Amino acid sequence: MKHITTVIIGAGHSGLAMSRELSLRGVDHVVLERGQIANSWKTQRWDSLHLLTPNWMNGLPGMSYCGADKDAYMSVSRLVSEIHRFADYHQTPVQTETTVLAIDPLGDGYRVQTDQGAITCQSVVMANGACAQPAIPSFAVELPRYIRQLTPLSYKRPNDLPGGKALVVGASASGLQLAQEIQASGRQVTLAVGNHVRLPRRYRRADILHWLDTLGLSEIPFDQMDDIDRVRRTPSPGLVAEHQLDLNTLTEIGVEIAGRLEMIRDETALFSGSLENKCAAADLKMNRLLQTIDDWIASEGFEEFFPPSQRFAATRVPDRPRLQLNFAKERFESVIWATGFRPDFNWLNLPVFDRKARLQHHGGLVAQGLYVMGLPYLRQRKSTFIAGASEDAHALAAHLRCNLDQRLVA
Amino acid sequence: MQMQQQQTPVDNGVNVDALMGAREVLRDAPAAAQFTWRAECEWMGGVHSRSTVRGFYGLGEEQAHDKIFTVDADHPPQFAASDNGATPVEIVLSALASCLSAGVASVAQNRGIQLHSVKATVEGDMDIYGILGVDADVRNGFSAVRVNFDINADASQDEIAAVVSQSQKRSAVFDIITNPGNVKVTVS
Repeated sequence: MKHITTVIIGAGHSGLAMSRELSLRGVDHVVLERGQIANSWKTQRWDSLHLLTPNWMNGLPGMSYCGADKDAYMSVSRLVSEIHRFADYHQTPVQTETTVLAIDPLGDGYRVQTDQGAITCQSVVMANGACAQPAIPSFAVELPRYIRQLTPLSYKRPNDLPGGKALVVGASASGLQLAQEIQASGRQVTLAVGNHVRLPRRYRRADILHWLDTLGLSEIPFDQMDDIDRVRRTPSPGLVAEHQLDLNTLTEIGVEIAGRLEMIRDETALFSGSLENKCAAADLKMNRLLQTIDDWIASEGFEEFFPPSQRFAATRVPDRPRLQLNFAKERFESVIWATGFRPDFNWLNLPVFDRKARLQHHGGLVAQGLYVMGLPYLRQRKSTFIAGASEDAHALAAHLRCNLDQRLVA
Repeated sequence: MQMQQQQTPVDNGVNVDALMGAREVLRDAPAAAQFTWRAECEWMGGVHSRSTVRGFYGLGEEQAHDKIFTVDADHPPQFAASDNGATPVEIVLSALASCLSAGVASVAQNRGIQLHSVKATVEGDMDIYGILGVDADVRNGFSAVRVNFDINADASQDEIAAVVSQSQKRSAVFDIITNPGNVKVTVS
């Protein structure tokens, strides 16, 4: 059986960042990849998707972004080529087309079983992504069989959909973006809206994520957050590269807004009557953030350098949002489940999951010699940004190296 | 969490420490968090009925209220009835307002906001073609429900709005009214 000090699972931006950090620390390792480098970026994203973070937040380790278009938002295909360039430059030891089947504890290390044989190792870094599987509600099976069901992982472009109306479920970034492009393709869209986070793309001349960074809100450590579990479950903000996109912009182009999809009964979708409160809560929360920005500008004495404070129009909620939708009668032909994602650690045979099967970890440390990367608010808000993964890799690699040294001494 | 520094401690009469403590304890005891609420209802003649609430199941065992409560329901003379109590739909509206008001007090306490007065006005619109069976396209229940809160508190308008929003998010009756649910009725 093959032995190596550390196994990294997943050759995306997180796994490759970790590989570089381990190389710098002289830790021999291999990166196992079920497909090709940047596999999910390549195969599980829709055509028009651009990163939600401006380019200066998208640097891979040692390649901080300094191009002329540092404030632009790169396409996913551009990110894929950047990741390839990074792997080539660092000659990352990637073993492609290798699927992990099981990880079991073995001595003071682990045994990693793959479809290409087994590997024993001292430590494992699971960098296989937060978006491995779509989180689809269990009542999806009640949908009529002729309805075409897609998720942001399987959806590519609007013209792959049947010509009839479409129900998009979920109002985070993916739900808003897909609702917009499907509506623009001539298919009438109804969007089901539950808890969501509203953010303007830009505020007082700067990108909103730039503000979060400036105010230090992107890097508050996970162990200083009140109720980190709740923070980690918070839906991602509804943003799109470049432009303003929110429920109001969708209403303007004709998208119909409905409440949270609660269940499907008799081939009819039933929506919650709580839409107004969901929108009010998102507006209030957005305004609190804008106030924080205003307060910072005022306290720094920077008023004259920025355009004046403003507030965006409250989310317009239909007077009587629809409560049900009969797929057949109203000629709906597709449903897009933009209801979030789940990571996949099915092969991990360790008691490290909570009662809802969620992986438990402390800032990426799961157990002795076992690490995870890329999950929401893993160590800080920007853990899910490309550059944030580099910082997490740096911190976790230092821990991993230190742990190896201690075991050698012992 | 926003905690305001104040001269006198905020007191809305809600023991938030106990509630937060219970939340922590129950987090690791999911079975104890399973509750069953009950009411018995007896027909009093006509369309008048009386519900009695004695106890409930929760925290792993049978629980009793400190005393027995009764709620009379009837219908007004306009429905050719004897008006011995509020109508069931008015009781539903009262339950919604009570649930949200309890939430407002608790959330405000938790956020360090002193309340001075909280008044909720609830309205539910109904086309009685539904219950009379005149028009099959009209539902029996409310076509719209409106709640208005008039709150006097040591907080900004936005802070008060956020408290009211959070109380909806955590309200059982708000959920019961806004979301579909399965009801099973049997005859013994």
